[in-house]
Amino acid sequence: MLAAQILINALVLGCLYACIAIGFSLVWGVLNVINLIHGSFIVLGAYLAWSLYQGLHISPWYSLAVAAPLFFVFGYVIQRLILNRVITAPVLVTLTLTFGLDLILNNAMIYYFKADYRKLTLTPPMGSISIFDVVVPVDRLIATVAALALTGVLYLILRRLRVGRAIVAVRLDRDAAVLMGVNVNSIYAIAFGLGAALAGCAGVLMALIFPISPLTSTAYLGKAFVVCVLGGLGSVSGALAGGILLALIEGVGSTMIGPAHATTLSFVLLIVFLILRPQGLLGRKGFE
Amino acid sequence: MARFLLRYARLPSSLLVAAGLALSASAALAQDVIKFGAPLPLTGPLAPEAVKQQQGYDLWAEQVNKAGGIAVGDKKYKVEIVYSDYQSNTPRAVQTTEQMISQGGVNFMFSPFGSGAAKAASSVSERYKMPTIASTASSAQVYDQGYKYLFGTFTPNDTLTTPLTKIVKAKAPNVKKVAILARNDLFPLAIAQEMEKSAKENGFEVVYFEKYAIGTLDHSATLSQIKTQAPQWIFVTGYINDLLLVRKQMTDQQIKADVVSMIAGPAYQEFIDAAGPGGENITSAAWWHPAAQYSGKDIFGTTANYVKLFREKFKSDPDYAQASASVSGALFQMAIEKAGTLDKEKVRDALAATDVMTFWGPVKFGATGQINSLEPPVFQLQGGKAVVLSPDIIKQGEFKLGVN
Repeated sequence: MLAAQILINALVLGCLYACIAIGFSLVWGVLNVINLIHGSFIVLGAYLAWSLYQGLHISPWYSLAVAAPLFFVFGYVIQRLILNRVITAPVLVTLTLTFGLDLILNNAMIYYFKADYRKLTLTPPMGSISIFDVVVPVDRLIATVAALALTGVLYLILRRLRVGRAIVAVRLDRDAAVLMGVNVNSIYAIAFGLGAALAGCAGVLMALIFPISPLTSTAYLGKAFVVCVLGGLGSVSGALAGGILLALIEGVGSTMIGPAHATTLSFVLLIVFLILRPQGLLGRKGFE
Repeated sequence: MARFLLRYARLPSSLLVAAGLALSASAALAQDVIKFGAPLPLTGPLAPEAVKQQQGYDLWAEQVNKAGGIAVGDKKYKVEIVYSDYQSNTPRAVQTTEQMISQGGVNFMFSPFGSGAAKAASSVSERYKMPTIASTASSAQVYDQGYKYLFGTFTPNDTLTTPLTKIVKAKAPNVKKVAILARNDLFPLAIAQEMEKSAKENGFEVVYFEKYAIGTLDHSATLSQIKTQAPQWIFVTGYINDLLLVRKQMTDQQIKADVVSMIAGPAYQEFIDAAGPGGENITSAAWWHPAAQYSGKDIFGTTANYVKLFREKFKSDPDYAQASASVSGALFQMAIEKAGTLDKEKVRDALAATDVMTFWGPVKFGATGQINSLEPPVFQLQGGKAVVLSPDIIKQGEFKLGVN
């Protein structure tokens, strides 16, 4: 029974990890930008959900509808005004730039919200359901479904919509896309906006599960990074696969060799992947 | 042109006068001020702790200065706290301490934050024979170096876990099995190890003892494993973030226990607010709690008065970190007034001979310099408030069983 419980825990957690990572993966895959503001976007999304719930009693499920457009615009503007200026520079330049932007955003949040930990507690609490002694918390389950839905939406956007095809085209070959009449700067901004929107939505969902503080942004960023490397960059299904793999390794590792070593194990796995399969589980060679 | 030259020719003399005035002013100031050095991690990961220390020192300095200052013989001296940021970097804390003593002209010192940095800096204080009070160092290893000039206001870690164990043993005879989960970090791990020791000594069976890594985002696997052991007492150490997460995930996994203890979250209002109903009946222990009711001889007098002054100044409730910083100042003040001089040797002797009741509790230093008179309060969250269960002189309520 313990095994079943740990498997369920890992599946649910894996979907949450995927949710954290997917926007990061998109931006990295399409723009070749390692977006270090991603963690702070998630925390900001969590604060949005928390503020709306505390102040106006708006359920986090509705906050998703607020977060998505708001963060899209936020991301779009940042890319258009700031990042696009250095987008062709070596990766270190964009890395440093997003690092700086992250410092500003994170410290602004510390200034405004303080470093205190908050918790979004729904009243009444959603509780858990148990099937044959295997317990699944309802809020995590809903967040999992929402994470899968977001992933699905992104998949559809990239597959079916014109703008999605353009994003994929830019990712595959920037120069050819330009020759085909794609406005690359605009596509970059849209992709970054989508990444930010996904981060904001992830933040809203995480607010139900994790304590909220600007200090948690690095933890989210770290997970997003590992998930991307495991799953494959820029690949929607890759983020899901990477998330579940990471959660499984952590869950099983923590049960077998103790929770103190679970994180070590996940980073060992990261190194193994970087050496043996740098394109990740579902990434395509050449896009890593 | 001539006028232009004249104007500039006049400048140096006026500057000289100004400089002379400034010098004499600072000389006058230097006579009437006692400087206390406080190296703090004002930036970096420990910054939130430094803010608390600073609040504690500032409140004390403000109260002393409002009352006219520290009386040395028949003269009153104002208090000045000299802060310096060591950026959460212990080697830099040692350098800063040395700089403050050798060049900064401080009269007395407060230790840097935590056991590690306090221990590292204590050798500098000792070399310069500088009376120093550590307000946030609990490990006995800080004080067992045979140093004469170091004093501390935190009792050793086992004084937090032993009274808790005794209460559970007395009030919950059905509790036999204990699960301990510790953050793999200096203080939380030390507390967990003390807990394991005191649980075994009191006849409890420790069915689970594991550490979790710093920055762990999910405890579901660990908690599922704990659930299979069916412990009646779950003891978790960590900081607010970890403890909130563990508590939430315990509810998620429908884990219930007769007793759930957490150190060091519930001592903070922040934890109580964030945990909400989930905090009900969680027990904890800390060196001090604003709910304590001591009536002291220090400048703050009663615990209630200290809490009131703190609220007025900072619009929040103090916890043990801020109170310890304030009481450290108050102890210096009483020692200096008793010694009647600023002579370091004599103030050191007065500190060593301290035996006084304060808003922090009874203060008396042992042979090593660490406080040995204090019995840290054990408390339980009941109805969204911390209720003190022990020691008896400040007890406010009865221990309640059951965390659901």
